[in-house]
Amino acid sequence: MTLPCGVRSYKYADDMAIIRTKTQWVLFILMLVLLFTMPLYMPSNYWLGIATLTGITLIAATGLNLLLGYCGQLSIGHAGFIAVGAYTSAILTNRLGVPFPIALLCSGLTAGTIGIIFGIPSIRLKGFYLAITSIAAQFIILWVINHWSLTGGFMGMQVPYASIGSFVFKSRASQFYLVTSIAVLTIFIAKNIARSRVGRAFIAIRDNDLAAQVMGINLFFYKLLAFFIGCFMAGIAGSLLAHWMGFINTEYFSFADSILYVAMIIIGGLGTTIGPIFGVIFISTLEQYLTVGLVPFLERTFSMLPSGFATGVTPMLFGLVIVLFLILEPRGLAHRWSLFKSAYRLWPFSY
Amino acid sequence: MGDLLQLVITGLAVGMVYSLIALGFVVVWKSSSVANLALGQLVLIFSWFFYGMLVQIGFPLWLGFPLLILFALLVGWLIERFALRPLIAQPILSLITVTLGIAYFTEGVVTFVWPKSVAALPRFFPREPLHIGGAVVSQEYVWIAAISLLIFILLTLFYRYHRMGIAMRATADDQLAVQACGVPVTKIMSRSWMVACIVAATGGILISSIGGITNGLVMTGLKGFSVVILGGLDSFAGAMIAGPIIGLAESLGGGYLTPYLWSGVKDIIPFFIIIIMVLIKPYGLFGEERIERI
Amino acid sequence: MNKSKLRVIGAILMALIITMLPFLSACDTEEQVETIKIGITTPSSGQAAEKGSVMGHANLDAFEYINEELGGVAGHPIEVVWLDNGYDATKAVTNVQLFMDEGCVMYATASSAMMTATMETANRAGFPGLACFNAPNLHRPPQHIYGQMTDYGDDWTAFAKYYVENIWEGEGKPRMALHLLNNSTGYGARDAAMAKAEELGIEIISIDEHAATTMSEIESLTRIKALNPDVLYISSTPAPTAVIIKNAYELGMYPGITIACGHAGMTKELVNIAGADITEGVYGVFPTVSWGDDVPGMEKMIEYCLELHPEDEGNGDYITSWAQSLIIAEILRLTVENAGYEVLAEGGPEAWAAVEYQGIQQLDGYDVEGLHGPVSYVPGDNRLSKSLRIFQVQSGEIVPITGWIEAPLIKYEEYEWFGN
Repeated sequence: MTLPCGVRSYKYADDMAIIRTKTQWVLFILMLVLLFTMPLYMPSNYWLGIATLTGITLIAATGLNLLLGYCGQLSIGHAGFIAVGAYTSAILTNRLGVPFPIALLCSGLTAGTIGIIFGIPSIRLKGFYLAITSIAAQFIILWVINHWSLTGGFMGMQVPYASIGSFVFKSRASQFYLVTSIAVLTIFIAKNIARSRVGRAFIAIRDNDLAAQVMGINLFFYKLLAFFIGCFMAGIAGSLLAHWMGFINTEYFSFADSILYVAMIIIGGLGTTIGPIFGVIFISTLEQYLTVGLVPFLERTFSMLPSGFATGVTPMLFGLVIVLFLILEPRGLAHRWSLFKSAYRLWPFSY
Repeated sequence: MGDLLQLVITGLAVGMVYSLIALGFVVVWKSSSVANLALGQLVLIFSWFFYGMLVQIGFPLWLGFPLLILFALLVGWLIERFALRPLIAQPILSLITVTLGIAYFTEGVVTFVWPKSVAALPRFFPREPLHIGGAVVSQEYVWIAAISLLIFILLTLFYRYHRMGIAMRATADDQLAVQACGVPVTKIMSRSWMVACIVAATGGILISSIGGITNGLVMTGLKGFSVVILGGLDSFAGAMIAGPIIGLAESLGGGYLTPYLWSGVKDIIPFFIIIIMVLIKPYGLFGEERIERI
Repeated sequence: MNKSKLRVIGAILMALIITMLPFLSACDTEEQVETIKIGITTPSSGQAAEKGSVMGHANLDAFEYINEELGGVAGHPIEVVWLDNGYDATKAVTNVQLFMDEGCVMYATASSAMMTATMETANRAGFPGLACFNAPNLHRPPQHIYGQMTDYGDDWTAFAKYYVENIWEGEGKPRMALHLLNNSTGYGARDAAMAKAEELGIEIISIDEHAATTMSEIESLTRIKALNPDVLYISSTPAPTAVIIKNAYELGMYPGITIACGHAGMTKELVNIAGADITEGVYGVFPTVSWGDDVPGMEKMIEYCLELHPEDEGNGDYITSWAQSLIIAEILRLTVENAGYEVLAEGGPEAWAAVEYQGIQQLDGYDVEGLHGPVSYVPGDNRLSKSLRIFQVQSGEIVPITGWIEAPLIKYEEYEWFGN
């Protein structure tokens, strides 16, 4: 991390800190305050709901970033693991009456375990083969959910409100706080994993796994660990999603969603902690704009246009955005952001 | 026993459909080591284009088919020129994701131009099914099998003996070396995508004759991946053999296992086969094992 | 400046202009007219688009007719918030939340799967919803979701009764095989069969499921053929139904056994995809009139359809959604009459309760201008229209062969297997 000039570290702890200068502390606390007071100034429950959904997506995307961005394991089946988390939480709270905090943890653990099982091929495979395996994994997971009576089969199942002790997360604001706190915690954990020995091992595996193995990194352990952590976070996100929606069905976890997750972290910037934040916010905003703004507007004003115009625009724009980002800015928005920060610091040669 | 014969024949027939799609995939992989995850959507858009030509505008078959081929060439060229050429040296994740982006985009274009989500092509083949022993198979499948075999033979000969084919194989092996030898790599990638699109277009017409043009073509495209994994990513022969195997597994599994397990078992069999293959023999039955060095 | 910079600036300007357009248009709707807001969400893109986009058009066209020619509801124009859910359940849920926040007093969906997704949110908040295509799980046990028409279970029951009384000529019990789409469309028929087959004297010999993307059902049909069925009932959408009928024809099962479909599949698309010769004689159920029938509402509907969306002419789903809009207008009219406009002006829980208890539940014999059976509310039964007709494909046309049949209420929640 580039620091403004004049900042020196006198202790190792200072050198390793995430937030270094007073300005950074101020900005950070300001951001947290803004985030947690959002229910006060958000215009309506709808936008609060969108913000909650964004938070949930962010948790899952952070997990995928650790798996894909840091460790380089191509996993295009993330929606399947989210589904595992969602259904675990639903079954535990709905059918077995387990309290929500335990259900949350269990859904993370279950998703992580299933992630490890489907991650075993990563020992021998890379690249496209692993991608296909993850796609197959997602379809198998969804098929099992669809055909198992415990999960309500094709019709889906209801999920009660999340609750801790006697406090029920019924209002939109309370759900927002729950999700946001967990999201902030998750990002903090992810950042620290990335900076630790585990993170460095991941990066080594991504760059050249044979060389990493030669250097003494246990590929088996670290690859499976990456799958576990990534899918654990997906499971947590799934559980939160289930309790927020009140009803789950496998149709919510389609292959197109998996593609969107990969797109989000690529657009945001692979291998950085702030990348998923950018990616998720970008895609969510685009989606909201298209659904609420552009499409109804086109449909109302231009009824002379062929019927598919307005509704075909959304997938077209999404696909176009993905392709354009990959071509023009493959390192994602995080890269642009760090360029911006450096430019801000260096202009006009402020020392 | 008439049951068994019926199931076997249906399985082989459906398997040939998968083989046809897999051939399109292998073409792209063999020339540029790019995994074309947009295959299902490409089949979809070509089917719709054909429908548009034949039904909406009303061209006759002998005009519509060449137009479709031209369109396929155009699409192949466009994809290669604008989406893949800028990404020539990028890591494989970018390439896979860009094909996924193209898939999304293509689905959007299909909704855009042809807002109906289901349509039927005019009937090309007579509706009387063929009777083999006690079993029936509809004529479309026979044609699919024949045309798949034809394309397979053409492609194999092309890649083995034609200059361009040999150049394509060389490019897949080592782009830098090939460039040093003076082979125009961009032209080769263009041509290979165009060929893949033509195969996809032909596949699209044939498959749509069976069940109409629906979003199910995309699902069939995904099942094509299982054929490719089973047969080996860079082997045409593998695609031709693995297709019927997967079709048989689906058919027999669906026919015999369903009463004991769950309805819908047949949908998951190709994906199970992927997982099993990937654990035992990742490079497929006929694929070439890549030896990696540091 | 060199050319590439100009191009970049030009592109950015274009993008800005395009992004600004929706906001510009939103600026000039500041008229102070007292409107009533409702929300409509249809799957106008995605895998149900061939039904969803047509239904979205019909809804909007009908409201334009109501606002322009009838002056809205008791002088208040109806403001429609229309959102496309793309057959994506998460989107549908957020759409409904938007409706609730924007002051809509009720909402309507086209697809039963989308209603299944949103009904939890709506039921929790007490936000009334009207489902065009209906399935037992949506309205049993009855809460705040009302079905515009009969559901897929009613289709089965009506056809089963008709079959036993008019078509079956053998001895003992007819043997029926079910082939179901793997969602609420198919399960509705299965629920009805499980509840009523015994009573009607039909033996269900096999229940099979298929996915909407199936290309061949020869395996399942081979198994069914070995069980010697007399009748095959398919509750699915047009494309898979066509595949199954074609496969049955190839296996030599049809003509031979009787084949019937639920109302999701019994449309012109089925005849187009499978072919008029293969589908000759297939029975089906449909709850609305056919295009061109001589009923009061037909003329205006055809006029607006040809003017605004001529490509949708002849499509049965257009009639269904046009009728849905008429019913919504009637519900709002009753609410304004019974509870007054003030309650509805801002939306919110009081408006929703008013619409439900003093609007929907006061419906009594509204004729929907003849477009389908009369619409009434009977306590304990959340289906508004309870009649349907049986049709048959004759020479490529879908022709009604019975008059309006009333489908009785089945209390599914009393069966222990329901909902598990």
